[in-house]
Amino acid sequence: MSSAAPPRPAGAAPTRAPATTRTKVRQDPVTVIIVALVSLILFLLVLLPLGTVLARAFSPDGAAVLTGIFDTASHRAIIVNTLVLGIVVGTVGTVLGFFLAFVQARVDLPGKKILHLICLIPIVSPPFAVATSAITLFGRNGIISTQMLGQQWNIYGLSGLTLVLSLSFFPVAYMNMLGMLRNLDPAMEEAAASLGASPWTVFRSVTLPMLVPGFAASFLLLFVEAIADLANPLVIGGDFTVLASRAYIAVNGEYNTAAGSAYSLVLLVPALLVFLLQRYWASRSSAVTVTGKPTGRVRMVSALAARIPLGIVTAVLALFVVTIYATVIVGAFVNILGVDNTFTLKNFEYILSGIGNDAMIDTTVLALIATPIAGLLGMVVAWLVVVRLKASAGLMDFLGMLGLSVPGTVIGIGYLITYNKPLIIGRLQFLPALAGGSAVFGGALAIILVYVARSMPSGQRSGIASLQQVDKSIDEASTSLGASGLQTFTRVTLPLIRPAFIAGLTYAFARSMTTLSPIVFITTPRTKIMTSQILSEVDAGRFGNAFAFCTILIVIVMAVIGLTNVLVRDRSVTSQSRAGL
Amino acid sequence: MTNRRVLPVVGVALTSMLALSACVVQDAQSGAASGAGASGSLTIACGAMEDLCQKWTEAFTEASGIPTSFVRLSSGETVARLDSAKDSPEFDVWHGGPVDGYGAAVEKGLIEAYDSPSAADIPDKYKDPNHNWTGVYVGALGFCSNKAVLDKLGVEVPDSWEDLLAPKLKGQISTAHPSTSGTAFTTLWTQVSLRGGEDQGLDFMKKMHNNVLQYTKSGTAPGQIAGRGEVGVGLVFSHDCVKYQEQGMKDLVVSFPKEGTGYEVGGVALVKNSKNAEAAKKYIDWAISADAQNIGQTVGSYQVLTNPAAKVSDKMVDLKTVKLIDYDFAAASAAKPALTARFDEEIAAKPKE
Repeated sequence: MSSAAPPRPAGAAPTRAPATTRTKVRQDPVTVIIVALVSLILFLLVLLPLGTVLARAFSPDGAAVLTGIFDTASHRAIIVNTLVLGIVVGTVGTVLGFFLAFVQARVDLPGKKILHLICLIPIVSPPFAVATSAITLFGRNGIISTQMLGQQWNIYGLSGLTLVLSLSFFPVAYMNMLGMLRNLDPAMEEAAASLGASPWTVFRSVTLPMLVPGFAASFLLLFVEAIADLANPLVIGGDFTVLASRAYIAVNGEYNTAAGSAYSLVLLVPALLVFLLQRYWASRSSAVTVTGKPTGRVRMVSALAARIPLGIVTAVLALFVVTIYATVIVGAFVNILGVDNTFTLKNFEYILSGIGNDAMIDTTVLALIATPIAGLLGMVVAWLVVVRLKASAGLMDFLGMLGLSVPGTVIGIGYLITYNKPLIIGRLQFLPALAGGSAVFGGALAIILVYVARSMPSGQRSGIASLQQVDKSIDEASTSLGASGLQTFTRVTLPLIRPAFIAGLTYAFARSMTTLSPIVFITTPRTKIMTSQILSEVDAGRFGNAFAFCTILIVIVMAVIGLTNVLVRDRSVTSQSRAGL
Repeated sequence: MTNRRVLPVVGVALTSMLALSACVVQDAQSGAASGAGASGSLTIACGAMEDLCQKWTEAFTEASGIPTSFVRLSSGETVARLDSAKDSPEFDVWHGGPVDGYGAAVEKGLIEAYDSPSAADIPDKYKDPNHNWTGVYVGALGFCSNKAVLDKLGVEVPDSWEDLLAPKLKGQISTAHPSTSGTAFTTLWTQVSLRGGEDQGLDFMKKMHNNVLQYTKSGTAPGQIAGRGEVGVGLVFSHDCVKYQEQGMKDLVVSFPKEGTGYEVGGVALVKNSKNAEAAKKYIDWAISADAQNIGQTVGSYQVLTNPAAKVSDKMVDLKTVKLIDYDFAAASAAKPALTARFDEEIAAKPKE
């Protein structure tokens, strides 16, 4: 992508803005160039592929689906299912994430470092790990449900999806809320407490309201993640059909990309509604809490009456997460977990004998390339949206978020039909073929672009959430002292939102390594991707091989994230304690 | 501050300017020339299981010296990907997977007829009369039951479609959705053929619906769901059930319905506009050969082979002992879109009784 970055037009790039004007932030030519570049990148990343798909949605076949979408009972059921799933997972995941973040940031308990690691495990795991493990543990012949408790639970459907998706996505909420809780200015809480409010009253009437933007952002993210998820509805959805899986059926079963595009178009509507609602809500109730002025100390919850129940609930949740992932790891080392529990290394032998090696290297390298691009792009977009742009901020925010709001299948098909031939308009070739086996770099570039498109929005969201807490006067002060937009961003803004930036990087890498639904359409013989290999193992019923693949994937992601945190860690005490990573 | 309004305009203008300035390349037209590795190497869209795909391509490279790679794709994905790049396809050959998917590709003009000399050995019933595809294996639809689960329920191993309607099997049957799975569509078309019409066929599926736990997306999944004891009976091609037995799901037993059962033919076909048509044809000649077909049994895939000279394993189903229905592939392929839509609307979405 950076290779597509054009040279600057001559004479358009003074690095210093004239310091004579007051706060003409938006005239800064560097900012203008950044806006132009970012617009171009977002256009190529998401808008163009999406446009191609939408054009197909309005072709005759697609239009037939669109016009009949509310006419049939099964279509209505699918739409209701999708909304229910999004709302339930959004709520459960946000509450879960907030609870654990609160415990992490504000409750005096032992073992919080381990708790933090446990909370991060789900974001480093591929989509199938939780679902496959949940079926093994809690299915109709599950190890816990049937073999230990003698019960027959039906985990297929909404209940299983809620469990699996909440567990997979709560870390997004957790990271978000943790960043916010650590950024909150304790002065207000201190003031309330010194006025005689009980800790509970302070929490309810001071702390919670300040977190509203975080709740809204988490809910939005989880909502769109849940309704766009494809892997879990396929594995554990049962008869609970959602728009994403219906679109998949249309494309992969009915050979009808037009109908698939049409379902995806419908899927965009609730995602957009929630997105707009969140913007409206957050803009009304954002609290400026990072002022650059000295603050007091956070009061930890230390009363035993609160710590014991909180500790027990936390321990149960942590144990649950550990059990799910222990199942993945144990499953990798036995023949068929729950059926034939003999120890074996054949799962690893199988995937390391050739099928998996290339995939591991390819996936890791491509994700490593995509991560810094996605992390930085997310922060730049967030900064433009919150600080620099006014009238067009919403548009920019919207563009950036599209990569995540659009179901992966749509992105995948969009890339396939847009980029598998050179982009030629008139007599000018704008781009060579990017996707597919005969494209440049064997199609690897398209995969990187998909990784960036899919993982950048989470950085953007957490960046926006934390920037909304930063007082604008800081930015303006920097500008009026003569710093350019870029200088202000790198010297002032970026350090302030460092926790969000690191979270964005971490998440971008994990997300890239674990993304599946767009990838299945653009993997090529020369770029094998682990998640699609895992899909074929689950598909073939070889849970053991899938578990082994998942284990290796988790180890790779953990190692890279650990390394990132060592390398990017800030030496200063304050930001270290704030980042907490 | 009018600048607020100006900025986006400037941004867009700059964007398009930069886009233009960066990418002015004299029109190279079709990207055929830019394709690295376009000559002398083959790319296969493979519809069989991953390990079999790998063995197939490795063995061909060994036999011919032509570098060959593959992507494992379902039929739907293959058609979608071929359809999206008709002029410059990324694949040269489609190998494996049920031929009703090939039928869809033929209709969209994505496949080029090729009458391989080695196809002369293959019985006519396993070949497309217009040479669009040639069958390389056959699979018969069967019941893949978990004996332990059935014993607990007090149910005999089913040997008839009617047995699947037993009230004791409520929630104990796993089958795939006919829209996503060629296997499940075979089940549906089998009912249509057996019962003499779409309405009658759907009527049976409606009755069975009450006993179905869930419609999976993958056609082979019901076999492993049964193997793990999640359900009593899975409806899959019998070779998949045998594969899971071999992998350690010891409780599985295979049986066939006495009324008659459907079958699939797995095909191989030449992709239209392939840049390596000569090598692709060599691959197809080879894929049809007995040597290539024999590779399946080395990785636990016990489909019946179409080449009379290929080895027969006792793990393969003996098609003489199974009553096969008269399966009209052309009619099935033509009826598929409307029939699966009806299934989705009238059955899959309905609550169970």
